[in-house]
Amino acid sequence: MKFKSLAVILAGSAALAVTASALEVDPALPSYKPVSGISGQVKSIGSDSLNNEMTLWAEGFKAIYPNVKIEIEGKGSSTAPPALIEGTAQFGPMSRPMKSKEIEAFEKKYGYKPTPYRVAVDALAVYVHKDNPIKCMSLQQVDAVFSKGRKGGAAKEITTWGDLGMTGEWASKPISLYGRNSASGTYGYFKEVALFDGDYKDTVKEQPGSSTVVQGVASDKFAIGYSGIGYKTADVRAVPLSAKDGSTCYDTSPESAYSGNYPIARFLYIYVNKNPNQPFDPLRGEFVKYSTSKEGQIETIKGGYYPITNDLRNEDLKVLGLDASK
Amino acid sequence: MTTITADDVQQADRDSSQAVTRRNITIPLKARGEPALWALGGALSVGIVMIFGFLLLVFYNGFTTFIAKPVAVVTLKSGELVAGEPTRSELYKLAPDAVKALAPTDAAKIEARGGYEQRTLYRTGNYDLSGYDFKWVDDRNVARAEFPSDVLFVERLEWGAFVGRIKAAAIDGKTVSTPTAKDPALVQAHEAALQRLQAIRNIERNLIGRVNYDLERLRLKVRRAELNYGPTSPEAAAARANEVEASGPLRAQYELLAAEAQRIRQIDQKNTVTLADIAGKEKTLPLSGLVRFYAANDLTLADKIGIYLSRWWEFLSSDPREANTEGGVLPAIFGTVAMTLLMVLMVAPVGVITALYLREYAQQGRLVSVVRISVNNLAGVPSIVYGVFGLGFFAYGLGSSIDEVFFLERLPNPTYGTGGLIWAALTLALLTVPVVIVATEEALSAVPRSMREGSLACGASKWQTIRNIVLPRAMPGIMTGIILAMARGAGEVAPLMLVGVVKLAPTLPIDAYFPYIHLERSFMHLGFHIYDVGFQSRNSEAGKPMVFVTTCLLIGIITVLNLAAIIIRSRLKRRFAGSQF
Repeated sequence: MKFKSLAVILAGSAALAVTASALEVDPALPSYKPVSGISGQVKSIGSDSLNNEMTLWAEGFKAIYPNVKIEIEGKGSSTAPPALIEGTAQFGPMSRPMKSKEIEAFEKKYGYKPTPYRVAVDALAVYVHKDNPIKCMSLQQVDAVFSKGRKGGAAKEITTWGDLGMTGEWASKPISLYGRNSASGTYGYFKEVALFDGDYKDTVKEQPGSSTVVQGVASDKFAIGYSGIGYKTADVRAVPLSAKDGSTCYDTSPESAYSGNYPIARFLYIYVNKNPNQPFDPLRGEFVKYSTSKEGQIETIKGGYYPITNDLRNEDLKVLGLDASK
Repeated sequence: MTTITADDVQQADRDSSQAVTRRNITIPLKARGEPALWALGGALSVGIVMIFGFLLLVFYNGFTTFIAKPVAVVTLKSGELVAGEPTRSELYKLAPDAVKALAPTDAAKIEARGGYEQRTLYRTGNYDLSGYDFKWVDDRNVARAEFPSDVLFVERLEWGAFVGRIKAAAIDGKTVSTPTAKDPALVQAHEAALQRLQAIRNIERNLIGRVNYDLERLRLKVRRAELNYGPTSPEAAAARANEVEASGPLRAQYELLAAEAQRIRQIDQKNTVTLADIAGKEKTLPLSGLVRFYAANDLTLADKIGIYLSRWWEFLSSDPREANTEGGVLPAIFGTVAMTLLMVLMVAPVGVITALYLREYAQQGRLVSVVRISVNNLAGVPSIVYGVFGLGFFAYGLGSSIDEVFFLERLPNPTYGTGGLIWAALTLALLTVPVVIVATEEALSAVPRSMREGSLACGASKWQTIRNIVLPRAMPGIMTGIILAMARGAGEVAPLMLVGVVKLAPTLPIDAYFPYIHLERSFMHLGFHIYDVGFQSRNSEAGKPMVFVTTCLLIGIITVLNLAAIIIRSRLKRRFAGSQF
């Protein structure tokens, strides 16, 4: 399970300065040091959740290297692997790890696996309308709300707010479901972790973008939906979640996400095509370094996600054969 | 209308002869005009209300977005301070248990209002300090709300808006503490800072861009030589030697330019401003990081108009910032216009030639009717299907082949083998060609037969007749078809998402580098920009007004394009009005 590994990895790095109001990056993260002679063109195709992040990194990177051209397309994580395989994109941002089928298809063409690196931490949030008083939900309840099969083990299907224990005007009101379309990595990740690989109900209104889910929930008082924490607005509220019925609920705060207590926190990745026997080309290498540097991770906060730690950066850069200190 | 028959007349005669006037002739409802008139009038007014209602909504929201709004400072009963532009307020019903949990006085007030409570959404900005940029405040929690004249609304290059005060400014090493927004020293320093920013951009984009472009060309020459003659060939060696020789001065030039940019940037770092939010939390940033700042509650009408116009100008003339939610839409305006014009260039000849052949040359038989029906049906195919076709056939099929022949040295990075301006224009041309064909056919058939026969009788050949008699007279009708096609094409978004429109295009399709027009480049489009800002931006609340502004602009551009075509059409009409019998 991914959230376990996230918990283990992050539990050790307590160096993250998390204040109640605003987030700060790991002070150990090095500042980005520009090098000379970087130019060229790259294209990124992939996750919609990372679309704004990619644009922010591209803007920052272009401010350092004016003649680098970066094009960004974000229509869903599932569009990243084909683009990397076809060579139409050099970066494939994804909000879920690649499936084994996608890795196989890539390997078939190039003879080696695609390499991911982690760029942000996201607490995938379950949103309700701002006036919804619900205090807490367990993953089993989330599963019973969203899925057909209830593989999480809930006894019966949940269709009204009353089924979730709410009283008054809420008790008889049916729950209106919002979700992402199937090309989205958020769709896949939520299905895997919150739905225990079950199938979504047919009544889930599939939305083309992360922000659309939030807008749907904001305009529908009896709605519930899931989307990245980066898209939260003043009109919606993220429900605290617990991993099991009866256990403590944790909110989507950075502390809970880093400690792994929040059950559906996840990493956001960028996949690249890197031949293990050849060095990385400077343009892509510098972009990787920039996006994981202090400056890049400040952009991560700006996009609404939580930054990664220096340990994670070192680990990923080592795999990519890049010198993390420079 | 009733028709009077001979029987009626006889009957009338008989009646009059009996000297009794009976005028109870009942006209059947179907035969009466009034009900139909009312229905038609009703339908028209529904149509007008819908169109004007829509336009009014878009224009009202679009044109009010850039007006400078006042900033309220709200002191909550808990002592907390909230400062921001009041955005909207609403009534909402509190749950009965929630009312019970409140303090008795509050509860009584809410009970008296039937359980409803008023709340207001404030745009507080300061995302970097607080972690949110909009906040709802319930009326019962408000101790007092004020509009102090010294609170500033600051637009920044990064992190969005800031609401608060200027604590201090460092101008060329001198510190000015608590300057007002109109402090001449501050305003002057800000202008200088913006000019410096412009200078840095000019160096980085244009001058360094040129150097990098030349370097890239040298590198590609080497690669082409290696591919054509083999890596060990003398040609490749010569290209490599040439690269080494030519790149030396270029690199020196680059160093020089980079040093100059660095020098200006250092000056820039010395000119800073320290902002403090309403609670006193501080943030220091370079003066050039401020786009605009004003004391929101202390503005004269002239100030407001100035801010309004400068915001419009920024919107129309600059590049987008902060993942498209701020800044301008210049690349998108450019992309939309360029794509639409290119589409017209492609669709007009193809459509007109097809229609000419179908109407004038082809033998009217079953085959031609089948072709005609197929063309008409093409107009009913969903536009996204054209997008898929464009991507598969143009970009991946045609484009990849072009790359393999002409741009081998750039692979694996595709040049034409991916979405681009030309493929988008071609796809839309395909989408709109039925409109042009149908309109042209109608226009051709409306040219009187007598005119053709006159021309033929004078000894002109068929082509001469078409060229000199038929086409000129059909021109206004053909133009109508093209106008319709243009309007349809400019407003289309779905297929474009597949064939070349991107969220952020780094460069315009036209620039100072050979061959000046780069049809293979991805581009930005206003229609997609609307979708992107409205449904993909991090903060949908802040994105909403921009959606309306961009929609206004798109409608405006389509209107201008259509007006241009209509003016051309009316000129053509006038030209031939006199020469007719």
